[in-house]
Amino acid sequence: MRSGGEDIVALSVAGLTRRFGGLVAVDNVSFELPAGRLNAIIGPNGAGKTTLFNLITGEIRPDAGRVRVHGREITGLKPHQIVRRGVSRTLQIKSVFSGLTVAENIRTAVMVHEGLASPFRPASSYVAVNRRVEELAAQVGLSAHLQTCASTLSYGDIALLEIALALANEPRLLLLDEPVCGMGPRETEETVATIRNIARTVDIVLIEHDMEVVFAIADEIIVMAQGGLLARGTPDEICNSPDVQEAYLGAPEEEDL
Amino acid sequence: MTATNISRVALVVFAGLLLAVPVVMPMFVSPFWIDIIAEILIWSLLAASVNLLLGYVGLLSFGQALFFGVGMYGAALSVIHWGADFWGGLAVGIVAAMLMAAIAGSVAVRLTWHYFAIITVVFSLILYFAAMSAKPITGGDDGISFSTPKVFSFGDLELSLADQSVQYYTILLVVAACYGLFGLIVRSPLGVRFMAVRENDRRAALVGINVYLTRYLAFVLAGGLAGASGALFAFFGRYASASYMFYHVSGEAVVWAIVGGAGSLLGPLFGTGLLIIFRELISTVWEHYLFVVGAITVLVVMFAPRGLAGAWSDFMKVIGRNKPAETPTSNPGLSKPAADTKLGG
Ligand SMILES: Nc1ncnc2c1ncn2[C@@H]1O[C@H](COP(=O)(O)OP(=O)(O)OP(=O)(O)O)[C@@H](O)[C@H]1O
Ligand SMILES: [Mg+2]
Repeated sequence: MRSGGEDIVALSVAGLTRRFGGLVAVDNVSFELPAGRLNAIIGPNGAGKTTLFNLITGEIRPDAGRVRVHGREITGLKPHQIVRRGVSRTLQIKSVFSGLTVAENIRTAVMVHEGLASPFRPASSYVAVNRRVEELAAQVGLSAHLQTCASTLSYGDIALLEIALALANEPRLLLLDEPVCGMGPRETEETVATIRNIARTVDIVLIEHDMEVVFAIADEIIVMAQGGLLARGTPDEICNSPDVQEAYLGAPEEEDL
Repeated sequence: MTATNISRVALVVFAGLLLAVPVVMPMFVSPFWIDIIAEILIWSLLAASVNLLLGYVGLLSFGQALFFGVGMYGAALSVIHWGADFWGGLAVGIVAAMLMAAIAGSVAVRLTWHYFAIITVVFSLILYFAAMSAKPITGGDDGISFSTPKVFSFGDLELSLADQSVQYYTILLVVAACYGLFGLIVRSPLGVRFMAVRENDRRAALVGINVYLTRYLAFVLAGGLAGASGALFAFFGRYASASYMFYHVSGEAVVWAIVGGAGSLLGPLFGTGLLIIFRELISTVWEHYLFVVGAITVLVVMFAPRGLAGAWSDFMKVIGRNKPAETPTSNPGLSKPAADTKLGG
């Protein structure tokens, strides 16, 4: 579905490093991800995947290194500035505006991009915003839950709501941190379909432990271990790499491949 | 009648009662009570200021009396030195309080939770002692008094705060305008940002909200509300005193806001009303009336954690829930909570 753009680099990371005390959580990581493909990052627990996302989205500052998104430097920007440059993410530990309804959650995220031009106009009167809220809910399959309070949603639905929030800024790059974690088989299947659908227009980087999901949807896989890059390749290449077998797939919690 | 309609009617009745106070109240009780109601209206703006921070952006300030005091002196000093009228004094009080909040806020809103609470106390203490020692300007503990300026003059007709009814209606007008603005802002896109920051500041940043700026704007607006409260109180008492900047005044406002219900627009008005009326009734017969205030606070926090306003909205929900049950349905088993809300609202 994507046309053009294939030659553009969606995400480029150079020499990215972050230490926590003596631990080097992300250790001099460099890579470039081409636009128009669905990239996955895998690796054992504590490999530094989430920290890498935190560095890209500005939530923690790198000790060294640079981040570019679609050719634009975003190193050192604040999280909200990075969101406004079209980079969105979901969190590994799902969190939304739990005291608000699904509709209010999504409206909040959409409203942010309306600006504060008319400070006294009621937020509920923005017709285009309301339409967009419904679109986003439909896109992630939450239309039936618009009036449900987020605190009463199932964990899987919270994960979907997070995706809807992340899409509100019409991102060009979407970082998903274990989006199907805690979902049942049917929910997982639907979410995978949703992600595939989003990937037609948005560049996606996906962290996922569920190998079935990764091998089903990723065009390319990056393997991280102990803060560094271990391997990179197509799902087949990764599957057959001895390094990966040893460091990751051969770990105690054998994944069936 | 749906729950929303009941609330609307209740609001209209309440507004009507407030308008009728100077006419009706003297028929039943001493006219002194008109002033009590006026005082409740004024102090409720200080509680509203706490509420804007606590209930809408999730910051607990124990220093709002600082901005109350600045509003008070802004009004008093501009009347004394510049011969300002009521509206001029009010405007100076509000603007001065907002400027003070703009300065204090640039540091304070970098912190959250107890760090924020502590820094607000520290700021108000610093300014309290500064105001106490700047006796030539502020009058310190004794304060400074001034004579009432006029409110309106149309040709020969002059309205002065010296007239109890004029004073009451003037205060009611300003207080209503403040609540009106407050209501508009929390329903606006800025209010949406406020609530996002209150609910989850990390997620708020990740949907593109500048959390710091949002908290800062709330802090400055809250300073304005406290300033309006202080300026009105200066006109009401015809004086200003540094003693009102002390943190026990701030603490009282926090209690009013919590008892009334932080996060609801008018809740703190009722919290302020309830506790001030109790104070007036009980302090005349028992000097340890603060025990009663404490007891009320504990009871409310235990049995209505979202304050009087929360209890009211729960009550309305019960009414709303009973409603669809009365209408005969062929298959009640199919009605979902979501459908109920729609019918009730
Ligand atoms: N804020 C922090 N402070 C201190 N240490 C941290 C912090 N964030 C992460 N770490 C450490 O950095 C290492 C990498 O953590 P990270 O969360 O990035 O791993 P991960 O690859 O996402 O693991 P998982 O698959 O379990 O989510 C871990 O050892 C973790 O304990
Ligand atoms: Mg992780």
